[in-house]
Amino acid sequence: MLEKNGVRITAVSYDSQKVLQDFADTHGIRFPLLSDHDSTVIRTFGIFNSNMAPGLRSYGVPHPVEYLVAPDGIVIRKYFVANYQHRVTASAVALREFGTVGERAPVVTLQSGALTVEIGLSDAKAFAGQEIGLFAKFKLEPGWHVYGTPLPAEYTATSITFDDPKIIRQSFELPETRPMEIAAPGETLPVYRGSFQGVGSLLLMFPLDAGETLLLGRLNFQQCSDAVCEAPQTIRFELPLTLEPFMVAPRKKQQPKS
Amino acid sequence: MADNVPEDLLEKAAIMREFGRRRAAGEPVSDELYVKHVNATNDNYSTGPESGQRIADFVLPDQKGILRSLDNLIGPNGLFLVFHRSAEW
Repeated sequence: MLEKNGVRITAVSYDSQKVLQDFADTHGIRFPLLSDHDSTVIRTFGIFNSNMAPGLRSYGVPHPVEYLVAPDGIVIRKYFVANYQHRVTASAVALREFGTVGERAPVVTLQSGALTVEIGLSDAKAFAGQEIGLFAKFKLEPGWHVYGTPLPAEYTATSITFDDPKIIRQSFELPETRPMEIAAPGETLPVYRGSFQGVGSLLLMFPLDAGETLLLGRLNFQQCSDAVCEAPQTIRFELPLTLEPFMVAPRKKQQPKS
Repeated sequence: MADNVPEDLLEKAAIMREFGRRRAAGEPVSDELYVKHVNATNDNYSTGPESGQRIADFVLPDQKGILRSLDNLIGPNGLFLVFHRSAEW
């Protein structure tokens, strides 16, 4: 999805060119895998992992970081999670930066009264430890609204949360609300009307067993018109996700002893 | 620095080796060892250039041995540049 938006992808590691060639051939990778074999560029970027003792095979690795760089070389945003086993998917970046999702990305449509919500993921497949994107497209019939935050306790704000042990960190953000005057003069409530969208992220735990799974979420909201205010509602939903098996590079062939 | 992380590189290495040995042998890894390993590995996490800063230009060979620089890596709308641990392990 990034490449469809004109953003190319490049990966850098301290591996030799031969290792990268084998990896690219095995997994059909076409984008550049760069060999920073003596970690010079890793050091220049200031991300050399100094926790590794010389002699360990991990000596020379970077702290994992992903940069979205503009055509003029300026960092637009960087993505990192403080565990080398965790990574943000490229599709999650495409969703956050460009609002685009793949055709096969899972989507569920929820409907209640005047509200229709499409909730979906940035990816149909992910590895354990990856951060995937979440989006929700809300549509309300004319004359109806739902609530944002901050909100008095007697109302329920619109939110999406996942009660799923596979998700170890989550976020969901909605756009700015519009103020709506309520009965008391001068008092306003933050509301959404018409169509609006929210985006978020879900960090999957590591490790997880490979295979088909469902992510279990909850949509909370309260829909009101100018005449009537309905009771707060919770709609539970499931989004399918394929967990990929842990990617292992091919075993090295045994060299005959000379 | 995270809690309970030794400063000494050899102590960190001992934690990483024990974690790697257990994983490779298919032995269970205790939560305590897992946390110690993650903390030892990620101590003093640094993330390099900030948003708004220009990244340093560089020249590195790709998997086919072709030298690549920022100029020929960046697409019309930019570059997603991923620094990762290793493609081998």
